[in-house]
Amino acid sequence: MTTTVERPRAKVPAAQRTPRRPGRFRKHLWSYLFLVPMVLLFGGFTVWPLMASWWYSFFDWDGVGTPSNWVGFANFAEVLRADAFWRAFWHSLVFSLAAIFVELPLALVLAILLNNSWLRFRNLYRLVLFLPVVATTAVIGIVIAILLDPAGGLVNRILLDTGLVDQPVNFLGSTSTALPTLLSIDVWKGFGITLIYWLAALQTVPKELQEAAEIDGAGFWRALRFVTLPVVMPIAIVILLLVFQRSLNTFDLVRAVTEGGPDYATDVVPTYIYRFAFDPSLQAPRYGFASAAGVVFGLLTLVVTLLQAPFLRRRLDGGRR
Amino acid sequence: MKIRPPLIALTCAVALALSGCNLVGGSADSGDAGKVTVTVALVPDPPGASEFYRQQFDEFEKANPGIAVKVLENPSDQQLNAVELMFQQNNAPDIFRAQDDGMDRMAARGWVAPLDEFVTPEFLKRFPAGSMDPATSGLHRDGKLMSLPLVWGPWSTLRVFLYNEDLLKQSGYDGPPKTWTDLERMATKVTADGKGKYFGYAPTAAKAPAVEMLADTAVPYSVPATGIDFRTGKPATSSPGLVESVELHRRMQAAKVMMPGWESWDGARAFKEFAAGRLAMYATPPWHVAEVRKLAPEIKLGVTGLPVPAAGRGAYLPLSKSFSPLWSMSAKSAHKAESWKVMDFLASESFHNAYYKKFGTLTALDSAWKAEAEKNPDQAAILAVAEETMRRAPNPALASKGGRALTDALAAKPDLKHTDAAVSSIVKNQPFGPAAAQLDRDLQTFLDQTSTELKAKGQEGSAKDLTFAGWDPLKDFRPGG
Repeated sequence: MTTTVERPRAKVPAAQRTPRRPGRFRKHLWSYLFLVPMVLLFGGFTVWPLMASWWYSFFDWDGVGTPSNWVGFANFAEVLRADAFWRAFWHSLVFSLAAIFVELPLALVLAILLNNSWLRFRNLYRLVLFLPVVATTAVIGIVIAILLDPAGGLVNRILLDTGLVDQPVNFLGSTSTALPTLLSIDVWKGFGITLIYWLAALQTVPKELQEAAEIDGAGFWRALRFVTLPVVMPIAIVILLLVFQRSLNTFDLVRAVTEGGPDYATDVVPTYIYRFAFDPSLQAPRYGFASAAGVVFGLLTLVVTLLQAPFLRRRLDGGRR
Repeated sequence: MKIRPPLIALTCAVALALSGCNLVGGSADSGDAGKVTVTVALVPDPPGASEFYRQQFDEFEKANPGIAVKVLENPSDQQLNAVELMFQQNNAPDIFRAQDDGMDRMAARGWVAPLDEFVTPEFLKRFPAGSMDPATSGLHRDGKLMSLPLVWGPWSTLRVFLYNEDLLKQSGYDGPPKTWTDLERMATKVTADGKGKYFGYAPTAAKAPAVEMLADTAVPYSVPATGIDFRTGKPATSSPGLVESVELHRRMQAAKVMMPGWESWDGARAFKEFAAGRLAMYATPPWHVAEVRKLAPEIKLGVTGLPVPAAGRGAYLPLSKSFSPLWSMSAKSAHKAESWKVMDFLASESFHNAYYKKFGTLTALDSAWKAEAEKNPDQAAILAVAEETMRRAPNPALASKGGRALTDALAAKPDLKHTDAAVSSIVKNQPFGPAAAQLDRDLQTFLDQTSTELKAKGQEGSAKDLTFAGWDPLKDFRPGG
């Protein structure tokens, strides 16, 4: 038999009652006021362009005046039929895969090393690894192109002088090496920021837990596996998504170094979209088509991200346990 | 927390004052009182143009105290988009630089003001005789003058062949290649002799524009430019001359004769490599000559005509209009009279002479430079090549409205041009013929479709507008035979 005991309702003093709406609004007015600039900027520069590009994608429009030539889903059909779009999408995806499977684990390993308080000059190492992140991509592109030049570039000179190759390697000019070269530069350039993410995550591991593991006789590897990684797992998922999104949208590096060439071997979706929207060689830009390509790319990104969800949920649950 | 309305008002006022907001409006011009400001949107190209234009406009302002010239600079590949945005924001410049198709893009939107009301017979006399004829000037649309030129008429379509005399001599050659066969043989030898330190040849930039330049000596210019043979009005990308030009480059690429890395070169790289003595020969627009000379004043530079097919020349480079459009006046300008004064200055002999002296560019007013150019070996060579290798050619965009509509439609479909397929063929070492045949089929479909659409709208535009049956690309074209 179950007995239900009703608790007597406590009288809430008038001062503690939830204030009525106008009162609450007035109480937090400053907070709302400070939010206004952010909301305006976010609305103007993110939400509005996003919504507008969906609308424009239904028009054959050159970006001037009001779009009027409604073409329905014709732009979408053209994007989905275009081999060049799918080739660019594949290249974008390869950038993401390289970031997830190369950059992410490498950065974690280095973060674990640099998180060791006994390591001398660790701040210097962190600075050196972070420098490429703050360097301008255009400058990096020019310097890298000079270094990798097959006709007298430093890298090829070293390779030839040491006998590692007998012919200069056309890193950026060959359809087989251009993409791997750009991927390596992208991983190198983005490495520092991923490292900082991991270092921040590692610093959330409570010292007491680590000390307790040590007292219990856990060595480095066991502590890493059973203490550190489970604790950082929820943050790791956020890092994974951030790195995935960043690398999928690689644009400036490709634009600065190869402009998508040679023979579109390094073309990515953002450069594909840019070409149709802004290429001066076009008599009239195709903003409507470029918008449709952007919408399709956005939806595909969403799908790829959602595909990761079950895996991520399992890892997240595992981390919590 | 208690909010005091006066405090909010004060905060807002301070914020607005600090951000420079002007709620009551006002003039954007901050110049001297009584002065009219004319805004000129231009491209700081070639290098050093920013300072040059400022100096020139300073002189103009001294001579015209009531006018201030405000210069807006955009990178060349962003100029059109930037000017379009300015028009859309009702902040259009009074004068803007829009070259060739760019001017048509602006004119199609109604943003270009006709200049006829300002032009006087004395003004027209500055230009070479007959060059400002509305039918052939290249600056008129529907009989109205829509733009003023900067460069000499042949300058835009002239292509020259540069060679380093010293490097050729080291391989035992006394002169440049006359034919494509010579070019392949000589480039192979020079590259082999260079042993990786210098190379025989490069196709000028990442999109291999040299393919089109060489093809212009084999087939009518319209074939590489648009894919259409203007003698028949039919697609002709698979013409033997164009196919062989691609194949020539494919063979040289496969044999590692061409300078490696050209696949990612921008438009300025070839003259830098040439000036540094790492490249022996290449085909180019004539403005590279002055750039090479600036970088390497002592280099033994040879300037000659492009090599032709071994079987002989099949066509000359085209002179399809007197000038290329460059300076246009905004239809929305509130200061048209003052803007015209600035345009008049930009088309003056003193400005053209200064431009020629600064950049070595042959400008639209040949009286401003001809005497000096004939004494300059590089420029004299350019003039000789133009004389020898260029002929008048038909221009459907000037000949009829239908021709204009179709050429505009073709310009909007760069994927139907040979360029991408040619580069792909060269870098992947695949035959160009099948790709060219496919392009011809796609082009025919596109032309049929466009003609049908134009007809449905009641507009002109058919293969007839792209056909000049009596044209011989080895002779000067004369409209009407």
